Amino acid sequence: MRQTDRARTRVVAVLCLLAAGTVTRAAPAIAAPAEKYLHVKVEDPKNGQSVNVNVTLSMAEKILPAINNHDLHDGKVWIHDREMNGVDLLAVLDAVRTAPDNEFVTVNDKDSNVRVAKANGNIIVHVSDKKNKDQRVDVTVPIRIVDALVGTAKNDELDIAAALRALSEAGDVLLVTEQDSTQRVRVWVDSRNTQD
Amino acid sequence: MVLLGKIVLGAAGVGLAGAGVLCSDGLVQVKVIEKEPSGHHIDVIAPAMLAPIALHLAPRRCLAQAIQEIRPYVPVIRAELAALRDSEDMVLVEVKQPGEHVEVSKSRGSIVVDVDDEDKSVHVSAPIRAISSTIEELASANAAPI
Repeated sequence: MRQTDRARTRVVAVLCLLAAGTVTRAAPAIAAPAEKYLHVKVEDPKNGQSVNVNVTLSMAEKILPAINNHDLHDGKVWIHDREMNGVDLLAVLDAVRTAPDNEFVTVNDKDSNVRVAKANGNIIVHVSDKKNKDQRVDVTVPIRIVDALVGTAKNDELDIAAALRALSEAGDVLLVTEQDSTQRVRVWVDSRNTQD
Repeated sequence: MVLLGKIVLGAAGVGLAGAGVLCSDGLVQVKVIEKEPSGHHIDVIAPAMLAPIALHLAPRRCLAQAIQEIRPYVPVIRAELAALRDSEDMVLVEVKQPGEHVEVSKSRGSIVVDVDDEDKSVHVSAPIRAISSTIEELASANAAPI
């Protein structure tokens, strides 16, 4: 009977050790969030040129505080003239982020179409040139990025480091596409370390 | 005879240990291939540890300009290298145009630069640890009177 108990104890101990080992190995994989990559792709199909840049957001986060130059300090950029031509930029950003989904600005003139809207948690800016149909710019910024930009910074600052952190916590997002007759530019964030 | 054998073994051991220490920071490789028929093929592989040692031994007056120029960027380079060390292998920058291809990547703890054009192809690989040591050597030289 005693031998059976000992054998059982040993089996339980071995199982506990195995379970502990499995948990220890699995823990970092569970805890570590997927690395996010900021990609920039500039293509000039006419001339067969392209430039691709890939940076991990964590790398950008680490490097940013080390750059103290001109208006960029400690990951925050100082806005010289907060009230640009009488427009309080931070107040506008704050108003937009707290407003419900809506189309804020629509400009249709003979040269271009401009549209600024808030939809599905994103601020969307769309500019297209009427004369040059190929020329257009689309910018999509998740609201949480705007929150981070203005959330912790002082009144006349934008917190770029916080925005990068928020970006790494957000899902895959296409931030900017710019296209004209000669070149295409794309800026996006995803979990892949290549642009393929 | 036995004594001679021991001496040879000892010398070989010291040599191996020395080589091991020298190569502990990895190897720097510079490879240049000129594509013309009589073009040169240059392939240099050297222990990366030699770079900071060479900087340490170089006369300060010869490094003065390099030190002055790199001084403002040392904190950024430090941060960049630390971040690169932690990141996984990936292509950082790729530029393509007709007849030319440039790629900067991180591969197995090294920064690798490949340039391929119509005239030549160049491959440079340097371990990040060695680049860090070299930058630190330059940074510490900042404090010394130039």
